[in-house]
Amino acid sequence: MDKSKSVLVVTIFIFMMVKSFASSIYEKNCLSCHSKMPVKIDKFFYRYLLKYSSEMRVKEALVDYLKNPKKEKSVLQEELLARFGVKKPTTLNDKELKEAVDEYWEIYKVFDKLKGTPKNP
Amino acid sequence: MLKSWDTNLLSSEKKTLFSFFLLYLFFVLILLFILGYLYYNFQKDLVLQKYRIELNRLANEQVFRLKRLHRNFDKQRVYPRDKRFESAIYDSSFKKIFSTFKNSKIDFNRVIYIKNKKVYYIKELESYYLGTKYLVLQVDEDDSWVDRALKNMLLSGVVIFFIMMVFGYFLLWLMLKPMRDAIELLDRFIKDTTHELNTPINAIMSNIEMLERANLDEKVVKKIKRIDIAARTVSNLYQDLTYLTLGHKIVSYDEMVDLKKLLCERLEYFSLFSKSKKIKIKTELKEGVFLKIDIKKVTKLIDNLLSNAIKYNRVSGNIKVTLANNFIEIADSGMGIPQEKLKFITKRYTRANESVGGFGIGLNIVMMIANEYDLKVEITSKEGEWTKVKVFW
Ligand code: HEC
Repeated sequence: MDKSKSVLVVTIFIFMMVKSFASSIYEKNCLSCHSKMPVKIDKFFYRYLLKYSSEMRVKEALVDYLKNPKKEKSVLQEELLARFGVKKPTTLNDKELKEAVDEYWEIYKVFDKLKGTPKNP
Repeated sequence: MLKSWDTNLLSSEKKTLFSFFLLYLFFVLILLFILGYLYYNFQKDLVLQKYRIELNRLANEQVFRLKRLHRNFDKQRVYPRDKRFESAIYDSSFKKIFSTFKNSKIDFNRVIYIKNKKVYYIKELESYYLGTKYLVLQVDEDDSWVDRALKNMLLSGVVIFFIMMVFGYFLLWLMLKPMRDAIELLDRFIKDTTHELNTPINAIMSNIEMLERANLDEKVVKKIKRIDIAARTVSNLYQDLTYLTLGHKIVSYDEMVDLKKLLCERLEYFSLFSKSKKIKIKTELKEGVFLKIDIKKVTKLIDNLLSNAIKYNRVSGNIKVTLANNFIEIADSGMGIPQEKLKFITKRYTRANESVGGFGIGLNIVMMIANEYDLKVEITSKEGEWTKVKVFW
């Protein structure tokens, strides 16, 4: 192994270390699992929004479900739930979970995302 | 009926009627106000009801668009607009998600309301598309109904007001009928009686005049004098009553009256009366003072003042009669009039002192005549000492 190659490997390793360190709990925990699923995580978000409306209530419901998933509390359709099976309770502690949910909200919330059209001339 | 009833009402009764009328007017106005208020609100509700149906339809359309947007939110993020209305969406914590109009405060307690010429309609969603719990629609208010409602209110208000006034007049008329009947009866009674009095009094007076007093015994003469005084008193009363019942119907024949001559004549007429009370009469009468007036009426006026001055005087009192260029003054040393009664003394049936007989109509007649000829009457008095009546022109 020549020197330059090992330098590259070390650089990549450090780079990956830094990246994984810099990436958030949400990306590490939630996305790592969800990105493999055929239904994207944003669909789940908008289902929560549809059912719970305000930021506070959406977050409450999310935390509640993730900590203690139950068939009756799920917002998924029966077929989907049957296909995936009810998920396991989260391994994150309360603080980490809150951070993850907050980020989840920030990414998909509707506020400031809607565009107005100029008034009809 | 001799006179129209209203001229027979005393001013205190008129006052009562007036306050009744004011009260009635007040209640009618309050009633109209309440009716107007109810009508206005009713119209407003009607208009809002119409808006409500229309706006609900539009809101449903908008909800449908929101639903579509919610489904495709990963691809499409343009808020749906409709040129028929402005709209806004709020989440369940009343936080604004998006709005196409500038208005901060929305009253979420109401379904529909009008503020600043805009109609707001708030629809609560069952599924919270994009987190929307409340959809608010805003349209310009078409306020032509206000003008129409106000016009209707004014028109029907005036009509109802007139009907109520006519009704009030009728009510008043009903209320007054017993009083009017009583007054009419009294008037007729007095008229009839006075008419019947006239002939006997005249007979007594003319027969006393015809008596040959020289041949009579001193004692008899004295008695005859007394009869004469009594007859004259009744005659005066008779004239007063005729004046009161017929007063306004008597046509005046105005002529230049020599007041000194008239005053002397009347003093002479009352001399028996005053002598019987040992009253000393002083006069200060200017020559050549004339007044254009009905002689019967001015006689009535003077007679009443003189007879009061004698009647309310004490025994061996004084009377001073003054005639000047612009006034007649009759002052007596009688019992006077209490200060608090001075104001009312000219009213009919008011007497300064209940101990002396009379109907209390004398000064009332004086005032009636004075008013007819624009004469001013000034009564001053010190209770228990004197009374001065000054008639000036
Ligand atoms: C071990 C894999 C895994 C991880 C890690 C994971 N999820 Fe899930 N998640 C699932 C599966 C599987 C489902 C579908 C079954 C279900 O809904 O219970 C699901 C469902 C959901 C749902 C729909 C819940 C519902 O009402 O049915 C939401 C929202 C969600 N996940 C959010 C998250 C968030 C946020 C995190 C990170 C804190 C996360 N998930 C971490 C596997 C995972």
